[in-house]
Amino acid sequence: MLHFGFRVIIFFLAYCKCVLLSAAEQNFPEFSWHGLADFRYQYSAAQTGWAEGGLGKFRFGGEASRVRVNEVALVLQARWWEWSGTVIAKYAHDQKLPIDLTEAFLQYRPVSTTACRFNAKLGMFFPPISLENTGTAWSSPYTLSSSAINSWVGEELRTFGAELHLNYNFDTHDRLDVFAAGFLNNDTVGTLLSWKGWSLHDYEATLHDKLSLPQGIGIKSNFPFQANETIPFIEVDQHFGFYTGVTLDSQEMGKFRLLYYDNMANPQAIKEGQYGWHTRFWSLGSKHELPYEITMIAQGMVGSTGMGKLKEGKRSVDVDFWSASALLSKSIDIHRFSVRFDYFVTDQNDSLPLDNNNETGYAWTFNYNFTLAQHHQFNFEVNYIDSDRPARLSQNQAAHQEELLWQFAYRIFY
Amino acid sequence: MAICLPHFLLTVMRFIFRVCLLTPLTALAMSGEVMDGEGAPLMDVVITLTPLLEDKASSENAKKTINIVMDQQKREFVPHVLPVKAGTHIVFPNSDDIQHHVYSFSSAKRFEIKLYKDTPANAIVFNQAGVVAIGCNIHDWMVGYIYVADAPYFGKTDASGRWNLDVPAGEYRLALWHPDVKTSFVLPNEVVHVPSVSPLRHSILLKSHPQTGKPPSSLQLEEYAGDF
Repeated sequence: MLHFGFRVIIFFLAYCKCVLLSAAEQNFPEFSWHGLADFRYQYSAAQTGWAEGGLGKFRFGGEASRVRVNEVALVLQARWWEWSGTVIAKYAHDQKLPIDLTEAFLQYRPVSTTACRFNAKLGMFFPPISLENTGTAWSSPYTLSSSAINSWVGEELRTFGAELHLNYNFDTHDRLDVFAAGFLNNDTVGTLLSWKGWSLHDYEATLHDKLSLPQGIGIKSNFPFQANETIPFIEVDQHFGFYTGVTLDSQEMGKFRLLYYDNMANPQAIKEGQYGWHTRFWSLGSKHELPYEITMIAQGMVGSTGMGKLKEGKRSVDVDFWSASALLSKSIDIHRFSVRFDYFVTDQNDSLPLDNNNETGYAWTFNYNFTLAQHHQFNFEVNYIDSDRPARLSQNQAAHQEELLWQFAYRIFY
Repeated sequence: MAICLPHFLLTVMRFIFRVCLLTPLTALAMSGEVMDGEGAPLMDVVITLTPLLEDKASSENAKKTINIVMDQQKREFVPHVLPVKAGTHIVFPNSDDIQHHVYSFSSAKRFEIKLYKDTPANAIVFNQAGVVAIGCNIHDWMVGYIYVADAPYFGKTDASGRWNLDVPAGEYRLALWHPDVKTSFVLPNEVVHVPSVSPLRHSILLKSHPQTGKPPSSLQLEEYAGDF
């Protein structure tokens, strides 16, 4: 008599064979692919960028002009009945592995013939925070550099788990969506936000990524077990994290999304030179269509992150953070004009005042783009950031910095 | 036998009167124009005319079964708004070279045609009057409307906001409908006499950003697959 587990496997394989044969007969699954290639000219008048070990607010800084292939992304999709599978692979300048994954997930979207609907997502994907990054491969149609909040989402946040949605569709086409997710592999979130602060860029960390930490600010002396680079996606303590939220999408009132996130990490755990950072935050976003066909996207986030042992009631690193941004965008035919204001703060309250993670700053972003024949997009963008970060004194730089980045981009979507 | 002339004339007049009663009344053209809140012509407004008194001709007309097509072309439902009478069989061909997954959860007709290309073998029957909003499970922007009318006379406005209906003389209830009407706006619903002064003029206030049912203007906006 066959072992029960073995019989289950045989049954499962037989079921898969039936499904695949049936699918092949009906020309399923249907495969599709698309993507983008992004070429840049940049001129920066800024501090050394954070990807270069500096405490500048851009990824790459200095007094420099650069021409580069910024990103090439490929999105592969397969659909069969209510299921779809999506894999997003990309090359980006200075990425750890030249080609790596930013997202890879299965979606289950059964049609409901009632007003209630259930959807699920399983795999590696972005938590639903950004209301700007709605384009191909998480690109933004409004700006090149994401807001401070969404830049951080890109560099440190990713869900490795399952996200479930239950939504109610009103006759007016309005929709109320309640969602929740459980995840692993995101225990170091908060590392970069604490040690380098907020920043503006368009880099999305990848599955096998390792990201630079600021040099010369005493991380190694205060935390000798910390590796030279942070691994954004690693499971340190085997604890599940979660987030939950609600989205209201109304044609007349606009879109609102509230989310609470807690990675439930053990702040005293350490593995492969990576600490667990207990990070939790609230995120609120709204998108409205204003008069004169102006789109407004506002996002806010408030939370805290901490790591290390408790000493007299304080952890080694304990940082409260908040940020808010407001974007106005107007599209006229093939042209789009966007302006965004960001404000950001980190405020430390920990047992190591020498490891100074305080920061305040604001940023302005202006973007003009036009899209030809649906495929070819030309962008002109300028970012101005004014920030105070006392840790810069350790790098022999003034704490207060004004930084500027000019960019011209040609993006082709295929 | 002598024929009495007055009696003959009376008989002829009676005959003519009877023929007039039995023959459907001559249809008269009713027309109108619909504008949006900014005075621009508004297309896809459904116009229905319901006789206040029972109309034998229209009752006979309502019993006929007809087949109509709601196509999918370039990832868009064509037409965007389709008025039909109750009992109509609608076929949903897919003229694109990719699959679509058509569904509706409207109470007037709940149905689903799973991932398919070409023309499905069976039509869907729409028996119950009401608005049936249809969508595609793959392409969220694809929205179309089937207006199942219980009125015997109906039509919709063209790109210049104009409509024309041929109806017999009489008293009618005229109603207008549009998918993107502002929630707080009360749609025109009034009694009209046919014949009357045409064209009738109406205006409808719309939501600030109506769903056009058309694909986004750039490829970039079509394809972030992660959102629900």
